[in-house]
Amino acid sequence: MPTTLPALLALALAQAQTGTPVPEAGAPPAAEETPAAGSVAEGQASQIPTRRYLIERVEVRGLSHTRLEALHRHLLVDEGEILDPERVLLSRLSLLQLGWFSSVDTHVERGSERGKVVVVFDVVERNTLVVTDLVLGSTRPQPLYGGLGLSQQNFLGEGLGLSGGFVYGGTPEGRAHDPNRYALRAGFFAPDLAVPRLRLVAGVSGLFLRGEELACADVQCTAFQSNYGEAPRIRYLRAGGEVLLGVRPGPFERLSGAYRLERVHATRIGVSPGAGPAVHDGWSELAALTGSYEVETRDDFFYPTDGFHANGQVTFASRLFGGDYEFSRYLLQLDTAYDFLRLPLRIQAALGAVQGDAPFFERFYPADYSYFAIGPALGRAMELNFSTDSRYDAFLAMGGLEWGIPLWTREDSPWHRGYLAVGLRAVWSSATLGGGRTDFSKTPISADLALRLDTIIGTFNLSLGYALDNAL
Amino acid sequence: MARKKAGAALLGLLLVGAGARPPEDGSAAIKVRVVKGRTEAAVDLSDIFGPDRQREFGNGLDNVVEIYTSVVPAGGGPPASLHGRIVEILFDVWEETYAVSVKDPEHPAGRRLVLRDFAALRAFLSDQKGLDLGPVEALPDAFRVEVRVEVNPISREQLQRTREYIAAASGSRQSGSRSVLGAVASFLLREPNAGSDVHLLRSPPLTRAGIAPP
Repeated sequence: MPTTLPALLALALAQAQTGTPVPEAGAPPAAEETPAAGSVAEGQASQIPTRRYLIERVEVRGLSHTRLEALHRHLLVDEGEILDPERVLLSRLSLLQLGWFSSVDTHVERGSERGKVVVVFDVVERNTLVVTDLVLGSTRPQPLYGGLGLSQQNFLGEGLGLSGGFVYGGTPEGRAHDPNRYALRAGFFAPDLAVPRLRLVAGVSGLFLRGEELACADVQCTAFQSNYGEAPRIRYLRAGGEVLLGVRPGPFERLSGAYRLERVHATRIGVSPGAGPAVHDGWSELAALTGSYEVETRDDFFYPTDGFHANGQVTFASRLFGGDYEFSRYLLQLDTAYDFLRLPLRIQAALGAVQGDAPFFERFYPADYSYFAIGPALGRAMELNFSTDSRYDAFLAMGGLEWGIPLWTREDSPWHRGYLAVGLRAVWSSATLGGGRTDFSKTPISADLALRLDTIIGTFNLSLGYALDNAL
Repeated sequence: MARKKAGAALLGLLLVGAGARPPEDGSAAIKVRVVKGRTEAAVDLSDIFGPDRQREFGNGLDNVVEIYTSVVPAGGGPPASLHGRIVEILFDVWEETYAVSVKDPEHPAGRRLVLRDFAALRAFLSDQKGLDLGPVEALPDAFRVEVRVEVNPISREQLQRTREYIAAASGSRQSGSRSVLGAVASFLLREPNAGSDVHLLRSPPLTRAGIAPP
């Protein structure tokens, strides 16, 4: 509801009380002069008491997948209490905000005896299996690659998150006998563990990735454009997992710590030691602790109109934790909703730095943060790089503005919502802290025109910027 | 060529979106007259409060109807005057009557009615009369009367009180991939459609001279 309306009403009420001419006292408008047919009583608000009913029980109807216990703590009413319609409304909104139901209706029925009532929540469960990644890309050395990610947001009906995804690129161009390149990812997350006096979050995730980074003398790999199979490269394998535990200090905050352990194997093919992306040769281990603080106050993830999302991460990797790499990584990210200083703009920003002996995949790939790059660099797919540009940077700064134009809202249609996003971004990165700009793109500025869709199976982004990136 | 086609399709979508919820024609529903030098509107809302509302208003919980009537200059600009009326409805499941509270500038402290059945409630809601729009001399020369009806509006404050950030997280690694068809989010957190509905009625252009001949 537009917030101006209550203010306008207050103004109208104030007009009546501050001398603006109104109908004379004792001469009410015509609607009041004729009592409605069927009226049995009339008077001032204070003259007719509101009845107070006792809640005999609370029923939730329509559950087939979700477990009653999982949503019980979101209900603000309970049996034995006096019926408070406001708390029933807030309970209904709480259930709707979970995202598990397409509709929640409430009503009150007579109880077993006069003075008692039953509060009923009628719910319609929605599809909670959504597509999280749908990758389709093409580069010169990799004409076609693709992938898919799925997430079940209400696993076992307990509000748990289970997700998985893959990207597949096959064997490298011109090297039919090499291993296939692919990435597999899986995760389990409990976003709201109700422990007495604590709101905990916990998760575990795993990653298996087999990829390659080309290491030509120039980022275009000009000498190998007729046969990329001959290009020097670093073939690598990553396998590992992460355990995360955190608390929710407030309704919109999350403070967490994660321990990650990865086994990494790298093989140099035509690349001299020390050249190409940073990684230890042969087998190595990466062990890291990451602390994150996250604030999410946006009113809607798809098309937010209010609030912001901020995330700060600090990662330390050390032999102390059992790994072979010594580095620290810092990343701050901010994303506001479409309202900044009363302008319908979304601000996006990221600032990151890496110190020490970090492997390339812990550094920043600037094309991941840009709408497009004029040059061979292309945003990675689930951390797999299919471009010829394998420059990873130690410092990254990104700032952007995005404008969203809502197109339609139809909750009863599989295509729930759509909007057009027009964006502009600047990305500045450098290979070393304090170094010069990496020319991953001829210009640090990029733009996008994207159609974003919120559908029954997930949200999708049809991006002209990325299509352009594949062509540039 | 493909981009031109995409552009045309997007333009088409924009036009569809822009025209999705036009104001309803209120020429038959909105009546304006002058009573003792003041402009008064009457609105027939029977199309909005049809028989299908019985289940909604008979749910035994609070239901709210907000009716805002304004005089808008024909040439645009802020409303010249505004009248607001808030009706609260509570069906008593044991008495099977409707308790109705009405607040407006004429009754800022509220006025209560108890209506015997849904037919009486529907008649009461449909027939909105005596909507005072101020002295006739304050009217613009040419204007429209607009009536905005909101049924069970959900306030931002109510949404704020129930929101929590409990979506699944991706862990310490950045998740997701950019792609032409890349999904942008893995979350279901969204502003819920809480079922409130809004109707906008607009009168045909009127003139001050037309409703109050000199």
